[in-house]
Amino acid sequence: MDWLNLLVYPAVRVLVLFFVLLTGFAYLTWYERKLLARFQVRYGPNRAGRFGLLQPLADAIKALFKEEIVPDHVDRPVYLLAPALAIVPALIIWAVIPVAKDFPAVADVPIGILWILAVAGIEGYGVILAGWSSNNNYSLLGALRSSAQMISYELPLGIFLVSILVLAGTFSLVELVEMSRPWWEWLWLWLVFPLFFICILAETNRSPFDLPETENELVAGFQTEYGGMKFALFFMAEYINMITTSAIMATLFFGGWKGPFADQYVWLGPVYLFIKVVALLFLFIWVRASVSRPRWDQLMRFSWQFLLPVSLMHLMGSAVFTVFLK
Amino acid sequence: MNALGLLLPELILLVGALLVFLLDVAYDTDRESGASYGLVSGLFLVVAFLAAFFQMSLEPQQAFMMDIDAFAAFIKMTVFAGMALVALAGGRYMNRRTYNQGEFWTFFLIVSLAMSILAGANNLVLIYITIELLSITSYMLAAFFRDELRSAEAGMKYFLYGSVASAVMLYGLSFIYGAVGSLDLREVAGFFVQPDLTEELRVAMIPATLLALAGFAFKASLAPFYQWAPDTYEGSPTPVTTYLSTASKAAAFAVMARFFVVGLSALDVEWVPILAGLSILTMTMGNLAALRQNNVKRLLAYSSVAHAGYILMGLVAVAANAASGMDGLNGVLLYLFAYLFTNVGAFVSLMAVEETTGSVEMEAFQGLIHRAPWLAGMFTLFLLSLAGIPATGGFLGKFFVFGAAVQHQYYWLVAIALVNAGIAAFYYLRIIRTMYFGSQEDAGSRLELPLGMQATLLICTLATLWIGLYPPQVLDWVNTASQQILTAVLF
Amino acid sequence: MPTLPVPTFTQVVFVLIAAFTVISGLGVVVARNLFHSALLLAATFFGVAGLYVMLEAEFLAVTQILIYVGAVATLITFAIMLTRGAMHGETNPLNRQWGKAALFAFLFLVGLLGYLGGIPWPAPFQAIQADEGLIARLGEQLVTRYMVSLEVMGLLLMVALVGAILLARDDKP
Repeated sequence: MDWLNLLVYPAVRVLVLFFVLLTGFAYLTWYERKLLARFQVRYGPNRAGRFGLLQPLADAIKALFKEEIVPDHVDRPVYLLAPALAIVPALIIWAVIPVAKDFPAVADVPIGILWILAVAGIEGYGVILAGWSSNNNYSLLGALRSSAQMISYELPLGIFLVSILVLAGTFSLVELVEMSRPWWEWLWLWLVFPLFFICILAETNRSPFDLPETENELVAGFQTEYGGMKFALFFMAEYINMITTSAIMATLFFGGWKGPFADQYVWLGPVYLFIKVVALLFLFIWVRASVSRPRWDQLMRFSWQFLLPVSLMHLMGSAVFTVFLK
Repeated sequence: MNALGLLLPELILLVGALLVFLLDVAYDTDRESGASYGLVSGLFLVVAFLAAFFQMSLEPQQAFMMDIDAFAAFIKMTVFAGMALVALAGGRYMNRRTYNQGEFWTFFLIVSLAMSILAGANNLVLIYITIELLSITSYMLAAFFRDELRSAEAGMKYFLYGSVASAVMLYGLSFIYGAVGSLDLREVAGFFVQPDLTEELRVAMIPATLLALAGFAFKASLAPFYQWAPDTYEGSPTPVTTYLSTASKAAAFAVMARFFVVGLSALDVEWVPILAGLSILTMTMGNLAALRQNNVKRLLAYSSVAHAGYILMGLVAVAANAASGMDGLNGVLLYLFAYLFTNVGAFVSLMAVEETTGSVEMEAFQGLIHRAPWLAGMFTLFLLSLAGIPATGGFLGKFFVFGAAVQHQYYWLVAIALVNAGIAAFYYLRIIRTMYFGSQEDAGSRLELPLGMQATLLICTLATLWIGLYPPQVLDWVNTASQQILTAVLF
Repeated sequence: MPTLPVPTFTQVVFVLIAAFTVISGLGVVVARNLFHSALLLAATFFGVAGLYVMLEAEFLAVTQILIYVGAVATLITFAIMLTRGAMHGETNPLNRQWGKAALFAFLFLVGLLGYLGGIPWPAPFQAIQADEGLIARLGEQLVTRYMVSLEVMGLLLMVALVGAILLARDDKP
């Protein structure tokens, strides 16, 4: 029975997870288009199915049947590897996120928070590879911007995570959610949630930090040479990243699967998590609809001269609180 | 808190370095602030020196993987004295040539801090990390005049050699850890005196030791790892060269002494021949290369390589209970101490000539006696001390090191060293001859030395003569220091 | 007829990971394109992390990915992308020394195998229980026994950062 525990159960979990995430991705695009339309006083997709609910399906079919074009001047193996590398981190980060009481998505490892950091670290590769292998100045500039941006915002992001870690005293996300935290800890965390959210926006290359793919300067940035399903993979990576990071933020800052009666009825856990994720996704789209893009130097200066010192101060505060109040 | 008190010299330097760094950030850079940074750095070094002096009289103890004993304290005193003298003499030189004065003085104090920790480190991890701190900061200081091709070359060469050497050293240290299962030097020592130690394991430590030695030998510029030294010494800013060839070397020898004499004391049959071979190779190569140099800075660089070979003799001849009081280790310490003042003096004389004539070639020293009689006189004294003429500090150092070797009956080693000393005397005398008997026609106008250099030269002269003529106090220090190490050793 | 040993699941996984690591490592040296070398280097780091997982050192594995794959290799690729003329084609050509280098590397490998294989390395002193207390203890050791080492490392990083900017920046203040 050992191999059953080792291979089959995790495999089933993984498959379910992928199915949920891919469906989530499809409907996130619909959600975003609908919301953006409302923000701009339009209707949004409303032809395919009721409320345009079949629109994602139509898009998927279109992407699948497009001709696969690989330009001549690209570095073929790297060019083909890049979209795959972009999507993998977005999926595997889910392994450690708890979805219900005593129930992590795949495994409760004692290094959950580090896992998030590590995967965030390799997230940049897809973009870098795509930009470089496309052999195109727009792509390269997009990739350079992206990697610089990711490296810069990973620092405050990581330090905020360390701060949470210091307060929680555990690396495991399952334990983190299940432990009871005093009220001041919640306040102290929510104090920096906006800043954490900004880091997440930069890490996922979402507007207003979408400089790697600014249409008016760089055509489509690192994705310029990609089309069809390969482009769809980048697209998927971005949206799944949004879902994943929302789940992480929900877990770290808003109690994950917790909610009224979630302890008694285990099935309520995923529902609460879903609600929190949708609320956070709304935030993503809200920001996209309302905030304009910063200039390149403003972006860098904000990270290094504001976020980094603030995150360090927050870490110091957390350490002090942990020593004297816990 | 008590344990932190034992780190007082290091803490003082850390505070100093961060203070200078923050001052530089807080105030707009202008070229005038360099002098005050230099002053602050000098003050912190002097205070750290006093703290190390106080540590000389403490009972040996440990704190945070560092030994706080007389040996470490003496090395720290040597290093701090050297750095303070370099700051006094070279501060103006640096401040006039660079815009980045705040960074220079920060790095300067951090280098001192690294050497200070290295003097006491008794754990392989701490040794490795501190060597890295010392090296990386030194690379930057060597390349500090980044617009000058020679300085950039110096930093680059130093960096390339250094990174390979430290990687090799780390590889060797990992083998030692694999065999012993501990990084603590005392536990390493304890492991190798076990009676049931297999012969294979003993032999297996030879390659590991050789690999580790590559890193130490690089820092101490021993042959065959000295090729970086002449280029780096020549290209680096002269104050940087000065500390690289004196204080940095003292720290490297301190860590080598601790590594071999404390950590691998039971394996002395293996490492003594290796070190003896390196010693011979180093002094011979250094001296032969120095013979042909016309650039005095380069000549002194090669001569400093040769001196590393003499100092190594002391480690080769180390003995726990020596009859005559020459246990090898005190020879090393005495040599390092005397060599520090002598060589700092020599380099400062060189810097003085460079400041006023803009050249370090042999011609610049032509008839120096007519242009700056005092400078020429003191430079002569330093060169004589380097050559090991009696009544100077250099003589006493050589005497103790050679004596320890004789006592061990390493006559061949002493014979080779004596021949080498003869060769060395020849090229030192060549400089002296140029200074005194050069033609008077191309002697330029009189040289005016800045006050800091005058003071440094005076201190170095007095110290060299003091060690050479009235050594009891220094001998007392070095004997305490070496005894504290050797009594704990399990020879 | 001797029975063939049936490899266990762990052995198979180990061989796969080890082969991946070694082949990528070889690729770093052999690849003719600098960028490919850098990517293969990242793959090698990844393989090493996999070996750490096999040794039940998850913390080390994740740290390896975080630091080497996530930071070091990213920085290398970044540096290559910023370097003009090092983009496509044979940017990492063989030089005249490659034969000697290959020979030396081979001899080194043989010597190392002989050296490591011929020595009775003492067995590890105690098996370490993989639990959460391990990381806590590691952290505690870092701020007590290894305090000076930790501080020295911090200082080293600061100096490296300041020095790199100092040596590389373009403008004069």
